[in-house]
Amino acid sequence: MSLSPKERLLNVLHNKNVDRPPVICTGGMMNAAIVDVMTQSGRTLPEAHFEADLMAGLSRDVQEQTGFENFGIPFCMTVEAEVLGSEIDFGTLECEPKIRQEVFPSVGTVIYRDIRQMLDAGRIRKVAEAGLRLAKAHPDVPVIGSLTGPVSTAASIVDPMQFLRELRKDRENSHRVLTYVADFLIAYARLLVDGGASAICIGDPTATGEILGPRAFEEYAVEYLNKVIDGIHDAGVPAILHICGDLKAVKPLVPKLRADAISTDAMVNLRLLKEEYPTLTTMGNVSTYLLEDGDSEKVARTTERLVKDGVDIISPACGLSTSSSLAAINAMTGTVKESR
Amino acid sequence: MSEVKEKLFKELAAAVVDMDEDKAVATAEAVVAAKIDAYEAIEKGLSAGMERAGELFDEEEYFIPELLMCSDAMYAGMDVLKPHIRQDAVAEKRRVVIGVIEGDTHDIGKNLVKIMLETSGFDVTDLGRDIPPARFVDTAREIDADIIALSTLMTTTMDGMGEVVRQLNAEGIRDSFKVIVGGGPISQGFADRIGADGYAVNAADAVRLARRLTAAEAVAA
Repeated sequence: MSLSPKERLLNVLHNKNVDRPPVICTGGMMNAAIVDVMTQSGRTLPEAHFEADLMAGLSRDVQEQTGFENFGIPFCMTVEAEVLGSEIDFGTLECEPKIRQEVFPSVGTVIYRDIRQMLDAGRIRKVAEAGLRLAKAHPDVPVIGSLTGPVSTAASIVDPMQFLRELRKDRENSHRVLTYVADFLIAYARLLVDGGASAICIGDPTATGEILGPRAFEEYAVEYLNKVIDGIHDAGVPAILHICGDLKAVKPLVPKLRADAISTDAMVNLRLLKEEYPTLTTMGNVSTYLLEDGDSEKVARTTERLVKDGVDIISPACGLSTSSSLAAINAMTGTVKESR
Repeated sequence: MSEVKEKLFKELAAAVVDMDEDKAVATAEAVVAAKIDAYEAIEKGLSAGMERAGELFDEEEYFIPELLMCSDAMYAGMDVLKPHIRQDAVAEKRRVVIGVIEGDTHDIGKNLVKIMLETSGFDVTDLGRDIPPARFVDTAREIDADIIALSTLMTTTMDGMGEVVRQLNAEGIRDSFKVIVGGGPISQGFADRIGADGYAVNAADAVRLARRLTAAEAVAA
């Protein structure tokens, strides 16, 4: 069986047979534009956050040099919050962009704007344009559009401490804000799909069992992640969901999530998770720290074990440090590709 | 302890654990009206409640939203009681400088540690997020801190923690402060490598660590 990277990934996400797992890095929270890649290619961040051709070019550099079998855009988690009004620090070559200041002090003070207008704001169109260029030029390689999940996006426009309180204190407005954010994310995802994205990945680091606990995770995270996932499905592509941290507090809720693959952090044993939920498509989870540490042999061993454990898609556990080495990443991608 | 007093202290603790701000305020007002010692009411009522909330957090009964609501009830009760504290009743508090290291703006973890330290009787100066190493050093010296607490969620900013220790060494004042570190990518191994005095895995653990380090200091002195 000879599959293109795009066929292989889509087959896995549609529960069809493959020769071996794909090895990918989705962009967004899992940005793979590391310093090593940028210093070699000369296409650098933060500039590439703003220009479609640079973004597409850097994404291509990443794919070529790392061996990851996809394009992952954008390179940050701030596209959504920027458009929704928060102040962004666009970072440096080494340091990814971050929220400088959330725009609203509480869920009750959020100003609701027209979603269609917001799609023309900030970097939304640039990301979609970058995706379109990549999809056109490389039809065999999947473009993955990365979204910041609804809970994290909400906590990027409302002061996060206040937001977490108000999940209990002001449930009406919390639900209202999350509905608004989810609707916006769906519209953004649709734009990326129209531009040729083969799949959408959602990273929602604030939506963890460790932060929210099982009750709030079910009431908010499951509810609005599924809303966004359904929207992505309606747009016609599969959805991958990354859940940060230890799953244990919310593990019974995992089957309720309608994502086509679930990616987890390194401390989660994906083999055991699969034993418990055999129908789950798993993705992960080569330790981010191991990859940063740079010991290629250890990376290869860990990767080999994950492939043997039957993990469906191999990927860094919780994103990549920008100071990770290309050698370590290639040890990971190379091991997967030799594993048929 | 008189029965009334005991009952009110229990109610204060329960108000905190139950995340009930209104009840915390009403009970604190009852404490004031009954002329019960305000400092004792904070210690044995509100702080005891917060300690219980911390235990529930450790046991994964409570999570961050619950802990924040508990601390809101605690601070609401404190606001009522504080003006009534007799000056001679106040023990000298240990001082902590806390902040998120430069390059990182994630501060949920830091804020939790701050709340737990404050409710455990530490006097906390919060520098905020994205703070350059030199500001930790300068502030610690300015307020004569006992502890410098450093937080980060990003691997790329971990170096800044080592830089704080290096600056303290360079200025010959390393022994004047205990340096504690925490956050997603931080481990005991990392703390040892940069020469920090301790690592805490979560907010409740940070309180235990801070108590242990300042107790050891008191014995040494």
